[in-house]
Amino acid sequence: MFLITVFLSQLAGNLIFTQALGTSTVFISAKNRRNFTATAFIICIFTTIGSAGAYFAERFFGGYFENFRLFVYVLITGFIYLGVLLILWLASKKLYGRLKKYIHISAFNCAVIGTLYLIHENPENTSLSDYFFFGLQSGVGFIIASVFVSSAYKRLNSSKVPASFRGMPAMLVYLGIISMAVWTLK
Amino acid sequence: MPDKKLHITDGLLRDNTVLSAGMIISPVIICTETFRNSVALVYAFSVITFLADIFAHFIPEKLPYAVRVIWTALVSSLIYIPVKGLTEVLYPEAVGRIGIYFPLIAVNSLVVYQTQNRFTGLDFKSFIGNLTFYILGFDAVMLVSGALRELIAYGTINNKVMDIDITIPSAGLPFGGFIILGILCGIYRKIRSSSTAGEE
Repeated sequence: MFLITVFLSQLAGNLIFTQALGTSTVFISAKNRRNFTATAFIICIFTTIGSAGAYFAERFFGGYFENFRLFVYVLITGFIYLGVLLILWLASKKLYGRLKKYIHISAFNCAVIGTLYLIHENPENTSLSDYFFFGLQSGVGFIIASVFVSSAYKRLNSSKVPASFRGMPAMLVYLGIISMAVWTLK
Repeated sequence: MPDKKLHITDGLLRDNTVLSAGMIISPVIICTETFRNSVALVYAFSVITFLADIFAHFIPEKLPYAVRVIWTALVSSLIYIPVKGLTEVLYPEAVGRIGIYFPLIAVNSLVVYQTQNRFTGLDFKSFIGNLTFYILGFDAVMLVSGALRELIAYGTINNKVMDIDITIPSAGLPFGGFIILGILCGIYRKIRSSSTAGEE
């Protein structure tokens, strides 16, 4: 029962179903299982570490960086982007070659930068653990949404769907229907 | 890699940023609830993307891809500051309603990634032409979606009451945005495939 409650609350707060954040990226990643697994986990890393970075920026600058907030968030994401690429390159050249394209599409997108903004806008987030878990929760939400889209991808791209609606249009309508269901959960 | 066969008007029709490439979908789904919101976002998007992409065009191609992407995003986030200030003057109520999607428009994938992929290698004149049509393509989708959703949800366009009997308020909600954009995308593809068949 506890797991079902957690899953439902995760769905109700899902960034893709409720706020459409990261929709374009989820479409790219849903094309095959390897794509979506790699992209979803890399985005999870970006949102989690980025949120911790946003906490320190908030503490360091206080209320003085309102106008430069986007610049600071881009800087944080940029550091994580380079850091992840560097660590992967040092760890394994083969793995780096295989995963770098997923890192490129995961860095600057609405799911990552949007998460940092949402944390800031939620007054309940005050401690480092709040920021960290919000980031982690957003990343997990992205993984769940990727699973939903990936599971329907083949059917929505099949020849049974009219040619004009095959692929992205059908997936948008499909996400709209899930989003409608999620809306009732809220 | 740059597409050498790129036609200057592709960004508007054949390779529309939203309807064909599936990029920058989030602001279209959430913020085109009313025509007024769409106009404010169109203004911000056009100015930021145009200026940021011009700066990005001059970033040395020798630099690693990740560095060029970060550089572009940083420039774009700086251009966002005065543009936001000006938008608050021009559309005072819209910026608050758009919320977090307003800064997100500054780090859109047309600015951050497309400049480093699609426009690389083009001479400055072709680059400006292509960029303009890609921006117009996004603007057109925003305006059409904004007008359509406001009409369906509230029976108005730009706060002017239209003569329709039935409204569906949920068209203004996120799931309405998903569904209407999906339908628009399907119609666009149908028109595009019909016109291509006609040309052949």
